[in-house]
Amino acid sequence: MDALLANFLNVAIYKEVAPYLLQGLWTTIWLSLLVIPLGAGLGLVLAILATKVNNRGIRWLVALYVDFFRAFPPLVLLIFIYFGAPFLGWELPKLGSIALGFMLNNSSYFAEVFRAGLGSVPRGQEEAARSTGLSAWKTLVYVTLPQATRNVLPDLLGNVIEVIKMTSLASVVALPELLKAARDAQSMFYNPSPVILAALLYLALLWPLVRLLSHLENRRFSNR
Amino acid sequence: MNTAAYPILELVGLRKHYGDQEVLKGIDLRVRPGELVCVIGPSGSGKSSMLRCCNRLEECSGGQIVVDGTDLAAPGVNLNQVRQKIGMVFQQFNLYPHLNVLGNVTLALRKVQGYSRAKAQEKALAALARVGLADKADAWPAALSGGQQQRVGIARAIALEPRIVLFDEPTSALDPELVGSVLQVMQELRESGMTMLVVTHEMAFARAVADRVVFMDGGVIVEQGPPDAIFGAPRELRTQAFLQRVCS
Amino acid sequence: MDIQQLLFTFANAEVAARYWPDIAMGMRITLELGAWVTVSGLILGVGLALLRALQWRPLTLLIVCFADIMRALPPLVVIIMFYFAFPYIELSMSAFTATWLALSLVLAAYAEESLWGGIRAVSKGQSEAARASGLSWWQCMTSVILPQASRIALPGLTNRVIAVAKNTALGSVVALSEILNNAQSASSNAGNPTPLVLGALAYLLIFIPVVLLGRWLEARMAWRR
Repeated sequence: MDALLANFLNVAIYKEVAPYLLQGLWTTIWLSLLVIPLGAGLGLVLAILATKVNNRGIRWLVALYVDFFRAFPPLVLLIFIYFGAPFLGWELPKLGSIALGFMLNNSSYFAEVFRAGLGSVPRGQEEAARSTGLSAWKTLVYVTLPQATRNVLPDLLGNVIEVIKMTSLASVVALPELLKAARDAQSMFYNPSPVILAALLYLALLWPLVRLLSHLENRRFSNR
Repeated sequence: MNTAAYPILELVGLRKHYGDQEVLKGIDLRVRPGELVCVIGPSGSGKSSMLRCCNRLEECSGGQIVVDGTDLAAPGVNLNQVRQKIGMVFQQFNLYPHLNVLGNVTLALRKVQGYSRAKAQEKALAALARVGLADKADAWPAALSGGQQQRVGIARAIALEPRIVLFDEPTSALDPELVGSVLQVMQELRESGMTMLVVTHEMAFARAVADRVVFMDGGVIVEQGPPDAIFGAPRELRTQAFLQRVCS
Repeated sequence: MDIQQLLFTFANAEVAARYWPDIAMGMRITLELGAWVTVSGLILGVGLALLRALQWRPLTLLIVCFADIMRALPPLVVIIMFYFAFPYIELSMSAFTATWLALSLVLAAYAEESLWGGIRAVSKGQSEAARASGLSWWQCMTSVILPQASRIALPGLTNRVIAVAKNTALGSVVALSEILNNAQSASSNAGNPTPLVLGALAYLLIFIPVVLLGRWLEARMAWRR
């Protein structure tokens, strides 16, 4: 029990590393705020291409893209871009390669979600909108997309949670987000308490979102 | 009516409440061997609750449910043992969509009664033949019409050779043109001597086929008797009002 | 950069010939770990979903807490806790065990949630029909509810299995010699990214078929309605 307190819940160390870890948490948050819109935006474009454009070639390409990045581990993607780009003579800034890797990965997941959402809106909705003279584009923006998004809200939130968790991978390429900060602090103090504190901070950040997700899923279930 | 035999199903002072709302206020009912009893009444009268208490899909709050000599409400009763003796046919059919017709009928034969696969299939095919669907044994429930699905539901119930079959509004979910085939099967069952307790809205069927009709309202049995008496000359005002509403 | 140079850098035959055995060994570890994680995670997930179906409040609360925590924590954090923090409380484990345990628990949490969702989505009439014909709770669960629930949960479940199995790459952070780790060290030894390309191809070789299998299952298991 003493070992547990001294090594996992060492309050003295918690106090000392808290400012450092909070800075890491802040980095985690803004990194998420950067890559989520990028991934969701690209995913939405891909989903629209796959469902609303009548071209088999394009559909096939989108499916290929989605399956490729579903099969590719995000950490491998990140390291590939981070260590591979310099060999191409591209000097991507660290943040640039991280954002690119995360965007490529989670856009494929967002594309799947949006595709399911667009598929869930009955065809009659589009027909009704077009019959009142709305253009294809306006129909999409004002009629189809709002319903599609609402129908897959839980899955979108689920993806957001996954992306926030995924930012911890950036620690591997030495971006000082929460996990990296905790590991640095651990080697400074020869004590794993900072890692436990980081886990607690992740829980504080993500547990509310996970609860909200369960709540949304319950609501979807009881609405049927 | 065979009054000498002891009843297969006997409800004594059956009560049930949800919270402080009482839905069954002391029901006494006996169903004798070979008898077909139809229960009619307005929605919310408690007739479905009563039926579902008979095999304890719903728990009652008081009273006795005696099936073939066993009190179902008694503590320690082997419910699964007794339930084999009580078939049930549901309003929504409740066929298992992941099993084909034969699988639906053989499941309890194999898992509860412990028959071998071959023996269970033999019994299932016999039951399916009785409802006129022996040729659909390999079909999937989703490929059948509502009427056919309900007949499979009946086959699933009678394959276990129950002492009594409970019908919970068996034709209410059917398109009008499919109702006839199900009622036809039920009538044939009755002629073969099956004991049946049927909650129904089909007044014509109740009048033509039932041995006895029970009218329920507000959680009590208001009046019961032979169909001609109930439909031809109801004594109670509530019965008269109800019949006037549904038969006009 | 001309094409010759590009090939020399990313598809260097000589480097590839020297290091492909390392990648192959990594593949073996990745496959083994992925298989173990899938099996133990799914078994634990099914077990938890069944326990939750008993609807005993204290147990439900524990399961929900477990599932929430495992869904909220980044898997890399869990692996690092097991590998770097637990030795301080006399709980040392190998890199393989730490990665396996962490990923199994994560998969179990997701599998439990998907299956429980599936169980609830099976209409109440199904268990009523089964119980009315005398099937016990357990028989009703295994013969009627779970087959339908797992079919409903299948799309989410295959996605989860793929996502968690891909995370075996996280083992590289605790020096587990799976594909990524081997590819990285080979590539820094060689001063050439060709081993990384080989590693990437190895992952695609493993996971593209899994993704396609998932799609095929999804299409095949669609309701016969």
